[in-house]
Amino acid sequence: MANQKPLLKAEDLSKRYEDGVLALDHINLGVRGGEVYCLLGANGAGKTTTINLFLNFIPPTTGTCYIKGIDVTKDPLEAKKYVSFVSENVMLYGNFTARQNLEFFAKLGGKTNLTKEQYYQVMRRVSLQEKAFEQRVKTFSKGMRQKLGISIAIIKDAPAVLLDEPTAGLDPKAAEEFLEILTELKGEGKAILMSTHDIFRAKEIGDRVGIMKEGRLVMERTREELQYEDLVKIYIDYMKSEPLTA
Amino acid sequence: MPRRTPVLLWTIVRKEIVANLLSYKFFIAILLTTLLLFTSFFVLYKDYKGRLADYELVRAKPGEPIAVLPPNPLSIFAKGLDEAMTRSFEISRIGIDVFAGQKSGNIIFAFFPTPDFVYIVKVVLSLVALLFGFDQVSREKESGVLRLMMSNSVSRTKILAGKWLGNFLSLSVPFLLVTILGFVLINLDPLVRFSTSSAARFFLLVLTAIIYIALFLSLGIFVSALTRRAASSLVILLLIWAVTVFVVPNLGTLLARQMVDVPSVKALSEKQDQVWTREVLQMEIERRAKNDRGTGDIVKKHFNVINLELNQMEEDYRNRFDRLVRLSKNINRLSPAASFVYATTELTGTGIGEESHLKENVLRYKDSVLSNLERGEKQAPSFTYRYRSVGQVLSQGGLFDLAWLIFFNILFFAMGYVAFVRYDVR
Repeated sequence: MANQKPLLKAEDLSKRYEDGVLALDHINLGVRGGEVYCLLGANGAGKTTTINLFLNFIPPTTGTCYIKGIDVTKDPLEAKKYVSFVSENVMLYGNFTARQNLEFFAKLGGKTNLTKEQYYQVMRRVSLQEKAFEQRVKTFSKGMRQKLGISIAIIKDAPAVLLDEPTAGLDPKAAEEFLEILTELKGEGKAILMSTHDIFRAKEIGDRVGIMKEGRLVMERTREELQYEDLVKIYIDYMKSEPLTA
Repeated sequence: MPRRTPVLLWTIVRKEIVANLLSYKFFIAILLTTLLLFTSFFVLYKDYKGRLADYELVRAKPGEPIAVLPPNPLSIFAKGLDEAMTRSFEISRIGIDVFAGQKSGNIIFAFFPTPDFVYIVKVVLSLVALLFGFDQVSREKESGVLRLMMSNSVSRTKILAGKWLGNFLSLSVPFLLVTILGFVLINLDPLVRFSTSSAARFFLLVLTAIIYIALFLSLGIFVSALTRRAASSLVILLLIWAVTVFVVPNLGTLLARQMVDVPSVKALSEKQDQVWTREVLQMEIERRAKNDRGTGDIVKKHFNVINLELNQMEEDYRNRFDRLVRLSKNINRLSPAASFVYATTELTGTGIGEESHLKENVLRYKDSVLSNLERGEKQAPSFTYRYRSVGQVLSQGGLFDLAWLIFFNILFFAMGYVAFVRYDVR
């Protein structure tokens, strides 16, 4: 893995908004295939901004995001072929059934000739109840919607996956199931970048964990390093420390 | 990649259509439109038949100096000025007397006027189109679906085009089906049977309606792409709709009245009476002075003066009135609703231009009746009227209104595109 090129890479990435707020300050990170990178940090630390920059929702002030070596700003449509995205609160189309939603996003992702059974298989894989497949999504709980969200990411079968606080608001069982699916995706060689508040799960699943504060990546540890360190303590220490100077 | 473009576009179009089919909004909008259109078609078809029966009673007999038109079958869809145009114009030596034309016998219609196809499209369908467009961007942004869509390899252009096309088809296909069905059903009545020319005019009427509806859909999507919340978009659009459909056309007419001084019909009539009184008195004085008991030169001279002055007054009135109408039309064209009404009524032969054309023909008819009288012929010639051809209608302003509607369409879509390309999807 060490020699492998990162599928997701941020190089000297900064973002300053029109109102002057510096949301991201010269971030460098990379995520290789088969690796889970967890971004930890308080609200406003810059986690979601990083993901938004990878998806080209906003342009960077400086620096570049690469997906599979493709500059996201220069060729966003080509870059997005190789990435899936799961947001904090997957809303989808409430009047559509789970299968209809999955079919629509699969087609957007370039999978045009899948059968109903193939959609069902993906939903089974994320442990969505069979009876929910043809139910309207507006009747779904948040956990069910998140599962459907990850099934959308799975069906696209992109080599990189971006997750923006996907377990926020999920009950422990649903969150655990969600992480099991992520472990499977990691096993398939996907590069996963996940922003989260959940220190325990970040330690459990992350091959690398980065802590963000005021737009900066203030710490990065590998799974091996964290075997000998207390991530909770490190995180709290960083959160309590003096504000960073701009 | 080029092969993927139509597939992606169709995926979005199909999604929009299915989403509409599954929504209450669509169901209610289509039910309302169908109900309104069929009610309008039925009531105005009955009204037309009543007016046609009245026409058979009032139509000029051979030799009578009367100009009266049968009701226009296309007035079932666009009433316009058809009622004014089907009045009876009786020609006499002293001028033209206008009598009420073919009227519906049921007085209750005066309290509850039936909206015609043009009114329904202008007011209701424009609102329905806005309701289809107002949340296209902002609602999906609020729900986060837009982020998910745009995390895929799909351009904003395709998303916008797909949304527009999907909603346009959802709206226009049921509308077209209901309208064409209504036309076909009315056409089954042998008394109404539309000619090929009428059918072509009807086709153009529907095409104009579709262009008008598309314009409001584009406007809805544009405002939706300017706002972050669907509720804000709806409030802004309702304001724009009310101003466009009701305020501008009425204010424009008022404004034009301030700029062009046109006397009222009553004032004109009083002035004409004054000429009559003056000349008759003068004639009596002259006749007494010259002890003229015959109907000779003095009477002829004064009648000529009366005719001349009255004609001048009428011509002056008509010129001022035409100026007022032209100015009102041009100011009102700031609103696409006004252009839509002008284009559709002219195409169906019930518009201001057609009425003006009819009046010119009636004046010419008056001249020919008077020359017949001068020649001592007792039988007046019969009045024949040919509606302006579609080509004439288009060249005399119709094409401008159509082009103006298309311009609004392109403008709103382009503004929507720019707003969406710059839209912050976060």
